[in-house]
Amino acid sequence: MNARRLIWIRRISQGVFLALFLFLLVQTRFPGTAYQGYSVAVTAEHDIRVGYPATFFFKLDPLVSLTSLLSGHVWIQGVFWAIGVLFLTLVLGRFFCGFVCPLGTIHHMASVIRPSLKGKGLFEANQKRGSQKIKYFLLVAILVSALLGLNVSGILDPISLLFRSLALAVFPAVGNAIKAACDVIAASDTKPLNLLGYAAEEIASPLFGYEYPAFQTGWLIGALFLVILFLNRIRPRFWCRTLCPLGALFGLFSRFSLLRLEKNPGACTDCQKCILTCQGAASPGPGVEWDRSECLLCFNCFARCPEDAIAFRFRWFPAQNRGPDMGRRAVLGGLVAGVSIPFLGRLDGQVYKVSDPRMIRPPGSVEEADFLKLCQRCGLCMKVCPTNVINPALGEAGMAGLWTPVLHMTHGYCEYTCTLCGSVCPTGAIRAISGREKVERPIRIGSAYFDRGRCLPWSGNGPCIVCEEHCPTSPKAIYLRPHVETGEDGKTITVQLPYVDLKRCVGCGICENKCPVKGRPAIRVMAAGETRSVRNQILLDL
Amino acid sequence: MDHPITRREAIQKGLYLSGSLALACTAGWPIHAPSEAWALKKEEGFLIDGVGQTPGYSVQELTEKVFDAAGGMRRFVSKGDVVVVKPNISWARTPNLAAGTNPEVLEAVVRLAFNAGAKKVRIADNTIHNARSCFALTGAGMVAKKTGADLIHPRSSLMREMKLQGHRLDVWPVYVPLIEADKLINLPVAKVHGLCSLTLGMKNWIGGVGGRRNALHQDIHQSIVDLARFFKPSVTLIDAIRIMVKNGPSGGSEADVAVMNRLILSNDPVAGDVSAAGLFNIAPASVGYMVLAEKQGLGTSDLSRLNLKKVTL
Repeated sequence: MNARRLIWIRRISQGVFLALFLFLLVQTRFPGTAYQGYSVAVTAEHDIRVGYPATFFFKLDPLVSLTSLLSGHVWIQGVFWAIGVLFLTLVLGRFFCGFVCPLGTIHHMASVIRPSLKGKGLFEANQKRGSQKIKYFLLVAILVSALLGLNVSGILDPISLLFRSLALAVFPAVGNAIKAACDVIAASDTKPLNLLGYAAEEIASPLFGYEYPAFQTGWLIGALFLVILFLNRIRPRFWCRTLCPLGALFGLFSRFSLLRLEKNPGACTDCQKCILTCQGAASPGPGVEWDRSECLLCFNCFARCPEDAIAFRFRWFPAQNRGPDMGRRAVLGGLVAGVSIPFLGRLDGQVYKVSDPRMIRPPGSVEEADFLKLCQRCGLCMKVCPTNVINPALGEAGMAGLWTPVLHMTHGYCEYTCTLCGSVCPTGAIRAISGREKVERPIRIGSAYFDRGRCLPWSGNGPCIVCEEHCPTSPKAIYLRPHVETGEDGKTITVQLPYVDLKRCVGCGICENKCPVKGRPAIRVMAAGETRSVRNQILLDL
Repeated sequence: MDHPITRREAIQKGLYLSGSLALACTAGWPIHAPSEAWALKKEEGFLIDGVGQTPGYSVQELTEKVFDAAGGMRRFVSKGDVVVVKPNISWARTPNLAAGTNPEVLEAVVRLAFNAGAKKVRIADNTIHNARSCFALTGAGMVAKKTGADLIHPRSSLMREMKLQGHRLDVWPVYVPLIEADKLINLPVAKVHGLCSLTLGMKNWIGGVGGRRNALHQDIHQSIVDLARFFKPSVTLIDAIRIMVKNGPSGGSEADVAVMNRLILSNDPVAGDVSAAGLFNIAPASVGYMVLAEKQGLGTSDLSRLNLKKVTL
């Protein structure tokens, strides 16, 4: 095939997959078209779902499937996509990195548009170097750690990393800026400006959300993403070459790939154009052997070579090229790290000993030990949650649970019949439950308790029934008892004192969210009593 | 006039004329304005009680008949008006749970407003649950889609601090679409409520403001009356097709719901609520905000002073 045409096929493929990724990311939300036919709603139970395959890229990603299999011993839904990708990798090499991976495409763009390096500097940067073994170290560490019961792949897996960075940092930051600007314009007394503000908001809100979304550690996630992008100034596609564990996995699988780069040393004039445009530092130049496990299959060398000294061809005879240059140290180091991480992660006792009251998992979550085996920390549940209650954990779930989802009732509350988070979880760390199951079983995520010193009626500061009013269960888990309170001045007022019935409380947290006592509300939810745990309970029988 | 009029004189005369006209209008305005106010005051209070008796009756038809009995929607909506309907769709609950205004009633009212010549009909409520969930589950989204009404998404840019000049609430953020309407139709659902015992027409205005709404519960009755005084709906239609008789205002089970098949239309905010209280067998005198509202002159609880009509279907 004409090499130039191949380049354009690659660019179009990269563009299409990046656009698809962004489209699915935006659509991972409460669907805008979820208008129920109300004649149906009266009789039929109907769960609201995202209308698009939000987890598509996670199904494509073999690292997600492999770590879930190793740690949780489950085949995730749609695993055949990942098997297909691995099979194609066996034939073609790291085509995913060059043609599909949206994070790779972003790095590619960052490296090529306004490059920081030229000429000799670029030539030097594109030489293969030992640091490219780091990704094998990371891959081994992730896989061994998964085998021992802690899945940390999501922290570095490119699909999870990109989704988390965009959904929890980039989109909220951009959206909040636009919305703040719209708010300022809309507050104007000049009618045209006013309308302009509303109109701009109307356009921006479906993309970025109607509220001001906020996520714990969003700044950290965003800063790390910026750092990863800036690494492209040191070497093109620094991340893909040096750090990406998924790239390392593909590197291993490309060992016997049939598609090979063949050099014709006789025709080569040593112009070095192939090296200058190489994205993977895969030694396309003369005199050295091509590194198939480093090659991102961008086909730049193929297209740029003026002498046709480079060609990609399918060869059916057994591989003669060398295998991936993993390095014994990288593998041994990975083993040590992989064994250490799960056990270091358990030292804070979150799984077996301590029950952090703040570790409130989304409804339908599996038991904590299994949760840590499956959660990819990708942020899909956090993005899709209509109330912004699901947040990436910082310390709530211990070191091992960094960026796993926890509910912050001050950010939002768990909508009583909503089961969107489980429906988009790519690995089943949050089970796909139905609204009926959530309400009727019921699925508890925690229990509410009163802080009587802060509560307005309990502290004698006046009437208030907001928590009872909002309590969604039927009958309500919060009930009221009238009480005559004598004030300091001797006057009596009748207030209604609220109580929680733990047998009815599901821990949705709307009471905490709506409590007028700001800062630290007078009613709060703790994780104890959650359905998923046998150990973390309060009552003898439920 | 012995000489042709000069340009300068023409301008002078023009100025005199417009000046004296302006003066006359300004002087005349205070004479006319109160008479208009008197005329408004004199408008006869009415209360229409619609009952759907025959099984399988059409809720839309009942709504139309109720409005017809009051003189038709044209009495409240003029041609070219921007009409805002304020339903109660605070909770993300399906219509069978009676936590929100019946979507069939909502649809009928929107269609009536359009038929009466409204330029635009907007459905606006500052919901308690996430607005998108509410629009989806209560059926309000479907109504907007079917009828072409605008569904206004509550957001911070649509809240504006306004002087309510109430006894309790002075300055409070108000939901702008309700203020910018030419005509406002109040369309609450009838439910019980833990604090103020019933949530009907006047209580529905809690959904018309933003800010620290949950602090209003510390003086709920006066807050409700202040808001009911501030928002002046053209008419109030209380949806009592299904009412929530316990576990209010959020409900959550069909066991909390009673089917009444009633609609109550009134231009007297107090009378409407008083009449609806009867459906729950609750004495209006025991409901704080109804007593306060009558005392502060918002309307009457004496239904015999109104033009009463009953419509059955």
